[in-house]
Amino acid sequence: MSVLHRKLGRELKNAGGLLFAIVSIVAVGVACYVAMGSAYNNLNEAKRRYYRQCRMADFSIELKKVPLAELAPIAELPGVVEIRPRIDFHATVDLPDVAEPLNGLVLSLPDRRVQEPKKGPGLICAKHPPGRSGKLNLVPFSATIINDIVIRRGGYFTERRKNEVIVNEAFAARHKLVPGDWIHLVLNNRRQELFVVGTAISSEFVYMLGPGAIVPDPEHFGVFYLKQSYAEDVFDFDGAANRVLGRLAPAARDNPYLVLRRAEQLLSPYGVFSTTPLKDQASNNYLSQEIQGLRSFAFFMPTVFLAVAALVLNVLLNRLVEQQRTTVGTLKAMGYSNRQVFIHFLEFGLIVGLAGGLLGCALGYWMAEGMTIQYRRFFEFPELNNHFYPGLQLTGLVISVICAILGSLHGTRLVLKLKPAEAMRPKPPKQGGAVLLERITWLWQRLGSNWRMVLRSIIRNRVRTAVGVFAAAMGASVLVAGFMMADASNYLVDFQFKWILKSDIDLAFKDEHGEDALLEAARLPGVDRAEPTLNVGCTFYNGPYSKKGGITGLARGAKLTVPRDCDARPIRIPSAGLAMSRKLAEILHLQRGDLVTFRPTKGLRKEQRVPVVEISDSYLGTYVYTDIRYLSRLVGEQFAMTGVQLRTDRDPANLAALYGQLKKLPALEAVNTRADMIESLEKTLVDTMWVFIGLLVVFAGIVFFGSILNASLVSLAERQREVATLRVLGYGPWQIGSLLLRESMIVTLIGTAIGMPLGYLLAVGTSMAYDTEMFRFPVVAQTHTWVWTVMLAILFGLLAHLFVQRAIHRMDWLEALNAKE
Amino acid sequence: MSTTASDNNELLKLEPVDKTFRMGEVAVEALRDVSLEVDKAEFLVMVGPSGSGKSTILNIIGGLDSPTAGRVWYCGRELSAFSAAELTRYRRDSVGFVFQFYNLVANLSARENVMVSTEISNDPMDVTEALGLVELEERMDHFPAQMSGGEQQRVAIARALAKNPDLLLCDEPTGALDFATGKRVLRLLVDLKQNLGKTVILITHNGAIAQIADRVIRLRSGQVVEIHANPQPVPPEEITW
Ligand SMILES: Nc1ncnc2c1ncn2[C@@H]1O[C@H](COP(=O)(O)OP(=O)(O)O)[C@@H](O)[C@H]1O
Ligand SMILES: [Mg+2]
Repeated sequence: MSVLHRKLGRELKNAGGLLFAIVSIVAVGVACYVAMGSAYNNLNEAKRRYYRQCRMADFSIELKKVPLAELAPIAELPGVVEIRPRIDFHATVDLPDVAEPLNGLVLSLPDRRVQEPKKGPGLICAKHPPGRSGKLNLVPFSATIINDIVIRRGGYFTERRKNEVIVNEAFAARHKLVPGDWIHLVLNNRRQELFVVGTAISSEFVYMLGPGAIVPDPEHFGVFYLKQSYAEDVFDFDGAANRVLGRLAPAARDNPYLVLRRAEQLLSPYGVFSTTPLKDQASNNYLSQEIQGLRSFAFFMPTVFLAVAALVLNVLLNRLVEQQRTTVGTLKAMGYSNRQVFIHFLEFGLIVGLAGGLLGCALGYWMAEGMTIQYRRFFEFPELNNHFYPGLQLTGLVISVICAILGSLHGTRLVLKLKPAEAMRPKPPKQGGAVLLERITWLWQRLGSNWRMVLRSIIRNRVRTAVGVFAAAMGASVLVAGFMMADASNYLVDFQFKWILKSDIDLAFKDEHGEDALLEAARLPGVDRAEPTLNVGCTFYNGPYSKKGGITGLARGAKLTVPRDCDARPIRIPSAGLAMSRKLAEILHLQRGDLVTFRPTKGLRKEQRVPVVEISDSYLGTYVYTDIRYLSRLVGEQFAMTGVQLRTDRDPANLAALYGQLKKLPALEAVNTRADMIESLEKTLVDTMWVFIGLLVVFAGIVFFGSILNASLVSLAERQREVATLRVLGYGPWQIGSLLLRESMIVTLIGTAIGMPLGYLLAVGTSMAYDTEMFRFPVVAQTHTWVWTVMLAILFGLLAHLFVQRAIHRMDWLEALNAKE
Repeated sequence: MSTTASDNNELLKLEPVDKTFRMGEVAVEALRDVSLEVDKAEFLVMVGPSGSGKSTILNIIGGLDSPTAGRVWYCGRELSAFSAAELTRYRRDSVGFVFQFYNLVANLSARENVMVSTEISNDPMDVTEALGLVELEERMDHFPAQMSGGEQQRVAIARALAKNPDLLLCDEPTGALDFATGKRVLRLLVDLKQNLGKTVILITHNGAIAQIADRVIRLRSGQVVEIHANPQPVPPEEITW
């Protein structure tokens, strides 16, 4: 190791805490990159593997009932490789030690799994070879089927019983169900006893949402797989299905709509309720959004931190080179070449980059581990593990080194410009002319000499001030964006579950009922109020635009569902015409007052033309509301209802009695308890949010702290002489500190003021990026977001100043006074 | 020891050299028509008031700066035509600088400061030996802040010596030192010339120091006003100022 390296080593050691602060900023940038990149890879890989393992369907068609024999033309459609008919039903689950009835989704699976496909009349239609139309092989079973399951415990169906069931793993785990247990499901209005043979997971339910839920709630929602033959029996679906799953040839995957439109036409006699490409499948949609989001964050966050790090480093190295003018000149005079001296200074940046990069890689790996564990709470995969990605880590390292070098380059370049002969001459004093502010005499004259010193220093060191402002702006915008995320999720939960939906329990029936069902519901124990709802699935049309959806009919003067406009004001439920959600109106290019055509997917399916009289807003789904009697008449009934919303007296005894009765109601398709929903939301979404916000605060803190510490220490070093003079004049260390503190606070607060609107814009951007049919993010900033951001900025500033103050106390000002320069 | 100019004994030659500094509109004529020859193993002192151009000449001789007009020769090669890389080589191999404010690297010890110079040299002296020549072996591991000005200047001389240059350029080496310490440093420089045969060019605004030289050059306002040989140089111990 050469002496110059020893010199470098000692400089690094001297820079100590400051260096660590800068290294931390670099490390945070790299860590974000590595963590999000790793999480992205982890999720993406797990998704790809899982979808392949389960042969995830590329589309799904939901219909009333179709004979299997009628599905051959679908399998023959160009682009369709393979289809599987399935029987799907909602059911309620009665577990003896759970008071309330739970929701379930019942799906059929082939009775047996065999390795060799057998010829014969069958359940699975597959074309061999794929793509060639014409000859159709009907195979009863296949080793792997579309939307297959992965057994976790126990095994597949046996031939011992008809009534075997495989339960989804999460539900089984929550309720301690194991193979060998018996459970009761209400299937087709009859209570059935089923024998659990195994537990399983499936790629269809990576993100498993029950009816009406926005976060997985495995405690209250389960998936139950039945033998195909048993499902046919119990649902009276002999040789029929109500869902068709299919796989497409790779070429058709990008545009499945053509195939889906043809399929819908072919199947229209059998009552198509919906056609869903993989892209819109609920679980896949959430998963893909998360993966996509990681990708953009993996770019954005590191950019912010590394840019700050580079700029802060720039200030530090400018100072370092400036301070070592004479050394640079001496080295050159002694025969060191420009390149040698240049590299010597560049190495400082290089080491910061390397140290930050390595630390960031390790931190990033660890963060990815944490994120992956967190993801396991939301997403269910056969295995979701954190992996070490050497390429990604290396890229992170290279990026950090490049950033650090770029940051050092500007300062280091001064080395090249510096002629040794000039370096030996004392530096011409910085032009200390009047700053612009001094022209505003009335103000300037009112300032004390301390404030004048502070302001002059801020204005004269333009680059340093600009870097400080930029860093503070970035820190503040990260804080604001993070806090706004919390505001948004709180607002969303309130908006959806306190302002729009105000019921305690929602019941959904399998079929339409008359008014007597409402009276019956009102008589249930503990029920204070019952309001009917009618859901009519339909397709909306407006010129070239169409969209599948539904209309919800509400009683006039309904109090348990209150549609809101975008300012959260209640909307009167129209007695004629629709109140349509903003998102749907956008998709259909409709405005208030326009007419829209809709065709119900059930019943008479008669097309109707109705006006859109209100635009409502919500952050989940695309609801359309109208008066229940109006809607009933539109579908040709006097009064029809498919659900009831209940408000209860919340007396636990009554509640238990209520649940007991509900368990015995065969007509129930789903029961949702508001409190459970909010609890599961808070358990998952909100908890995760706090971890996330905690991290953001730490990261923003590092930016604030590092940049302030750097600016103040550099300023202190530059002004040693001035400080020494002030000490001689009788200033104490705290007074000197107060000068520097004022300087850094002004810079920090200006930066924070600039950063806060930037953070707001960031939140607006995030909300725009997440604007989907299923889910939208409100842009909300509560007062405490601003207050906290400013308070944290000040706090981090004070914290950094503590170190600066220590440096002032330790400064040997007598020596500074005597030193030449 | 007196010297007579003969071609093969000539180390340096300045053919009328001009140097003008331009700072925007203003042009400062730092040197005008300076001609000079320096022999090997000569002890040359340039005296002149502050601002008379002494440092400028030294910088040109040392390859830190180039003349605006005129040519500079070193051992028969034209220094003023050197490329940047050649100048670096020249400084590395042939010149040792000693500065008024020593210019030691603060966070390196005495030994390490000397190593800064030996590490880039082709033919370096032993570091301990170099420090021995300035009688500082004992203080090898001390840092500049732990040494007096005279000691620091001696380290700087050791640093200049250690790479075995033919030419030692000293810019006001005693300028920051007290009388006694200054004389000690001068003694060291005279010894280097006498014992090791180094050529020493020393500049000072202090006329008294001129007495120790073999030849004295007086400068005023960028011009050489007098060159006179000094056949009987006075030992540094005997001068006063
Ligand atoms: N880099 C420079 N830029 C402008 N003027 C300079 C520069 N270097 C020297 N000078 C000027 O040249 C003249 C001679 O300077 P210098 O050689 O340093 O004098 P001395 O060493 O004799 O005190 C002075 O007027 C000085 O201001
Ligand atoms: Mg000078």
